[in-house]
Amino acid sequence: MKLEAKGATQSSAAKIKSKTYTYSNSHKLFQRALKVIPCGIPGHFSPAPFVPPTMYPFYADRAKGSRFWDVDGNEFIDYMCAYGPMVLGYNNPKIEAAASQQRQKGDCMTAPGKVMVELAEMLTSTIAGADWAFFAKNGGDTTNLAIMIARAATGRKKIVMIKGGYHGVAPWMQGYGHYGVIEEDIANIIGIEWNNVQQFEEAIAANPDGIAGFIATPYHHPTFADSEFPATGYWQRIRELCTKHGIVLIIDDVRCGFRLDMRGSGAYFGFKPDLACYCKAIANGYPISALVGIDALRTVAAKVFYTGSYWYQAVPMAAALATLKELKRINGPVLMNKIGKKLFDGMVKICGQYGYDLKVTGAYSMPYVRITNDPSNMLHQEWCAECTARGAYFTSHHNWFVSAAHTEKDIQKTWNIVDDVCKLLKKKYGEKY
Amino acid sequence: MSYDFIKSRLHLYAVLQNIEDLVQYDEEAKKLIKDWNVVIKFSVKGSGNVYLIFENGKCTVTDSSEKKPDIVLFFTSPAHLNKMFDGKANPIPLKGITKLGFLTKEFPKLTERLEYYLKPDDQKLKDSRFVTINTVMTLNTALFALKELLLFDPIGKHIAKKIKGSMVMMNVDKGPAVYIEQKNNGFQVHKGYHEQPLAVLQFKSMKIANDFLNGKMDAFSAIASGAVATKGHIEWLDAVSPVLDRIALYLA
Repeated sequence: MKLEAKGATQSSAAKIKSKTYTYSNSHKLFQRALKVIPCGIPGHFSPAPFVPPTMYPFYADRAKGSRFWDVDGNEFIDYMCAYGPMVLGYNNPKIEAAASQQRQKGDCMTAPGKVMVELAEMLTSTIAGADWAFFAKNGGDTTNLAIMIARAATGRKKIVMIKGGYHGVAPWMQGYGHYGVIEEDIANIIGIEWNNVQQFEEAIAANPDGIAGFIATPYHHPTFADSEFPATGYWQRIRELCTKHGIVLIIDDVRCGFRLDMRGSGAYFGFKPDLACYCKAIANGYPISALVGIDALRTVAAKVFYTGSYWYQAVPMAAALATLKELKRINGPVLMNKIGKKLFDGMVKICGQYGYDLKVTGAYSMPYVRITNDPSNMLHQEWCAECTARGAYFTSHHNWFVSAAHTEKDIQKTWNIVDDVCKLLKKKYGEKY
Repeated sequence: MSYDFIKSRLHLYAVLQNIEDLVQYDEEAKKLIKDWNVVIKFSVKGSGNVYLIFENGKCTVTDSSEKKPDIVLFFTSPAHLNKMFDGKANPIPLKGITKLGFLTKEFPKLTERLEYYLKPDDQKLKDSRFVTINTVMTLNTALFALKELLLFDPIGKHIAKKIKGSMVMMNVDKGPAVYIEQKNNGFQVHKGYHEQPLAVLQFKSMKIANDFLNGKMDAFSAIASGAVATKGHIEWLDAVSPVLDRIALYLA
């Protein structure tokens, strides 16, 4: 079936077809939650950044493929993919079978399973330049470990990171002024602008033999802002400077990992990091993360004591092994970018027919998407909320995610919703935007 | 900047401006200043100056005045001013000695009304009129204090660097509004609505605003439940939230 985004030319005369969802069960549950959980839903799943939250579901009931259903029975095409982990579709039979098989044998045991070695072999044979792998649970576990290894390896304190970059929630990863973060937590963090090699050079000059590591995402994907790819030669110059000055080069590939390139995002952008952090797409939703590194850092990595009660769980490792195999088989990153390109090209066209400029930045597999017509973002927020309340789950503040499970049917339905909502907003605001 | 300096800035520029609203909303205060035609200058060495201009039954609070003050109340240091707000010191009247009667009898009646509205308790909060006035004052105090903290508080200064070009409006639905905008390397606060705000924090009712601003409701719960609505550049609201929470460190 060949799909084409027609939007307004096809249906401008037609009435708005889609109905909006209601969320009474979600809201009731949230009121219960407020009594027993700080702010009901803490962290990045908090509804607070949704505008307005009342147009979003708060709780999921079940999920399958590219879709999830909330506790009110509303069905959503999921463009957040659990904020990244879902990469092959929820409840993917192959991944579930591998996880189930391992579960029957054992999960959290007194010793690691054989699968840990198999998974490390898989990662080192898949990711360019990876000579070893270390497993944890969350992306932040691995970025923190990477910093510890960099400091242990160099005997230095300072870490250079990109302003607006996100590497997790440990105090050093958050900004001064965030609740619970004290000045000393960030005393050894140097923030520089993305794509600014000169600032890195200045940081090195200002801290001779003081910088242990440079950490950044493969491309800049902050919240509340467009994504930015590296400028030509950026990573190569950063690599040169790190090598010249004995600085450990760390990429936080937690979000981009296996959504750009199976060989890792370093290979995608043509440079070799010393340490690379993975999570999200690695196990299709099972809790596991991995730090991979070069041989020169193997001994130091062995010396840093870093562990957790559930870090040796065998089931997530089996799921990760199956996920990586499947992603390789289908060439997941290429497929997701292909799906994303088709989806977003169509959406841009539909929005354009209503005079709305939909800007898509970053990789098609995980782009930051926004309507630029209104400098306050309120139009964009309303557009996202209206689309969500019709079944296409869009957030307005964070990059979206596309999975290999998103289908042509999903794309067409999403286009229809986008068309309906553009029509609604045009009717409401006329030529204001 | 010292704690006393920042506290004095909040007293001067965030607390005293409430007199503008006090004489507008409180009948007793309105009656009191009806015939006042006087300019009072608060001059704090090492902190700043504020003029209270009373004329035509209104009060304007400003940091500069074309009119010469009739009365100058001098404070030898930021700590001196802070002690006065705690009721433990008196200003030094440099000008207006002849108006001592006004200073010792009339003016304190006004400041007593201000204190009454700025210190809510459970009993007072049963009165909807009190809630309205207290909310208006708390809302305004929050943003005027925010400006000072973004300029001088260590965390505020750090946050200020991250919100270049920002504009945040806080309002009660169909009620009072106040907004702060970053302009020309500084911040300006304005009472009232902005026609095209870039970021909005809107309270559903006076009661909700009062609870929220007095720390009885956490922001995430309030927003998620719809009691408080945010829209626009909510990253700026997120950024200034910890700074707003620091007001209590100085004015509690």
